[in-house]
Amino acid sequence: MTSSAIRFKRAAAEKAGNLHHRAVIQKAIGTYHAAVALGKTRFADWQNARSHAAQIKWETINHLDRYLEQFERKVIENGGRVFWAETAEEARAYILQIARTRNVRKVVKSKSMTTEEIHLNEALEAAEIQVVETDLGEYICQIRREPPYHIVTPVMHLTKADIARTFHEKFGTAPDATAEELAGIARAQLRQEFLTAGMGVTGANFLIADTGMITISTNEGNGRLSVSLPRIHVAVAGIEKLIPRLEDLALMWPVLAIAGNGQAVTVYNTLIGGPRRDGEMDGPEEFHVVLLDNGRTHLLADAEQRDALYCIRCGACLNACPIYRNIGGHAYGTTYQGPIGSVITPHLRDAADWSHLPYASSLCGACTDVCPVRIDLHHHLLHNRRNAVQHKFDNPLQRFAFKVWLWAMQSEKRYVVAGKLARLAMRLGWAASLAKPWTQGRELPEPPPQNFREWWEKLNPHPDPLPYTAREREVPSSPPSAGGEDQGEGANRGEH
Amino acid sequence: MTPARENILARVRAALRTEAPRPPVPTEMPIWLPVGDIETRFREEFVALRGELIDGADKLPEFLKPFERVATDGSELVRLAVGDGNASVREADIGVTGCDCLIAQTGSVFVTTRSAGGRALSVLPPVHLVIARRDQLVPDLAAAFALIRKRYDRHWPSSLCLITGPSRTADIEKIVVMGAHGPKRIAVYFTG
Repeated sequence: MTSSAIRFKRAAAEKAGNLHHRAVIQKAIGTYHAAVALGKTRFADWQNARSHAAQIKWETINHLDRYLEQFERKVIENGGRVFWAETAEEARAYILQIARTRNVRKVVKSKSMTTEEIHLNEALEAAEIQVVETDLGEYICQIRREPPYHIVTPVMHLTKADIARTFHEKFGTAPDATAEELAGIARAQLRQEFLTAGMGVTGANFLIADTGMITISTNEGNGRLSVSLPRIHVAVAGIEKLIPRLEDLALMWPVLAIAGNGQAVTVYNTLIGGPRRDGEMDGPEEFHVVLLDNGRTHLLADAEQRDALYCIRCGACLNACPIYRNIGGHAYGTTYQGPIGSVITPHLRDAADWSHLPYASSLCGACTDVCPVRIDLHHHLLHNRRNAVQHKFDNPLQRFAFKVWLWAMQSEKRYVVAGKLARLAMRLGWAASLAKPWTQGRELPEPPPQNFREWWEKLNPHPDPLPYTAREREVPSSPPSAGGEDQGEGANRGEH
Repeated sequence: MTPARENILARVRAALRTEAPRPPVPTEMPIWLPVGDIETRFREEFVALRGELIDGADKLPEFLKPFERVATDGSELVRLAVGDGNASVREADIGVTGCDCLIAQTGSVFVTTRSAGGRALSVLPPVHLVIARRDQLVPDLAAAFALIRKRYDRHWPSSLCLITGPSRTADIEKIVVMGAHGPKRIAVYFTG
């Protein structure tokens, strides 16, 4: 097992048994689901909206070269600059170089998972440039020196009391401050930062090819302030964030907001198409867009999973995922958590290190059902398991166990013997120690004294009604798809 | 051009040589429910977002009374309604702007750097007052984009913003708090 897999197992086991964590997350996600259900009633046909959104992203991703070039041309026409970064390191170096050559001492940041992905904050801090996260959730993460727990709701795992305590320690504010007071404290603190920062760094929710604009959606207004006050604006975006036309936002903005948290649209949906123009009152002197690959073209090359690049980072699949709800966002150890993270991380990073993630799924298909751009998430989790087996990234012991299982399942006699042995093992307590990772937090059920067939034959004491060959056929002759091992019921659900 | 650009584009082109399956084709059925009467719908949506509607010319002075320092976008429509501003955007207690259009379906106000006096005026002061005409109401986002495209195509302002209610956050236990970083209050006054 790789070190990231060991860390994952340990963190997941710890969180899954933590009842406080469970209560906090269930409450937050319960609120989310209620809001989303209400939000969807705005649509005559939400399923059709998803199909339209998926169509827009299909068109873009499958003609990405064309839209990237168009976007670049338009940004330059608008007076902005485009930097292409193959890796996180190139992106960091470029931003650092801008900050250094323009004597930037302080950077304000609007919430951006892409900048988390490239570890920009650490790089700026190492160069002694102050970085201030301005989204309230991210600001709390920054003070606590924790990574975001969730791509949309960074501090979903914290209670009001936790945050009040953090602010109390940092600012000496009331240890029992209300949510309103806490938001007020952050507003006052951050207002000064906005007014004195030399550079604003943002992500982008969408890149608009036909007008050369980026969009930023925030409820708080920190995105707008980040691009209004500092003299330089740098936007960092994955190349997959493109959409063809400005008009596509009439669908994509509401779809993002509804799936993200149930709002009809986010409070501020801002479009930026360059630096301040002649005759405008304010705005930055410079506008840079960093187009980041960092493994995305690798995912693009996998036609089977290419739709994973449709992702608009709404977080719906995280909230729907029974695994995410139990193990929480930090256990994954990745920038992108939950089902989408488990699909894309093995492609974006070293597959050998991250192929354990797709196994952390019940394959129930809830993620696929909620995805607003119709990414076939749970099948891709299965595809990643298959890839892991093909590349021998999976556990050799497990592979051997499957071989034994397959051999046992292929004959009725072996099946019956295996069942007897299993019941015996359960009775003698061997099974409990074999299944230790599972039994640590759960009890193994009492083994039944007999199997179903023995029980049935005792109940219906007449000669065997079926010829032997027909009985043979009742027994499954081939195993389920790779990886569907211990989750039989869940694996089937996705096929409906 | 850097080699990165060529490398990325080359990888994209190589990747796209293999075709990917298409998602299900959308139907012709409407996505949205009908908007209904656009003014009624706008009022409902805007108020539900905790936006404030100032109804009637006599209510406007009353609304403006508590604000000492006023910054405006200096446009004709705004000047006629509230006069000239007396403060810079960084000091103002209220920012008063025009807009491009108002969207009934979502209770939103569409502003641009040109229609609303730059980027900061509608977001930095603690209160944002929008002066608008009823004929600026449009039914939905698609209509708003059609209008924006017609007005600005090839001469885009550097920034555009769809504003839907006052600034808010729900980052702490999903409790909604108004006025995170942007205006705690947003109001609309129709001049006609």
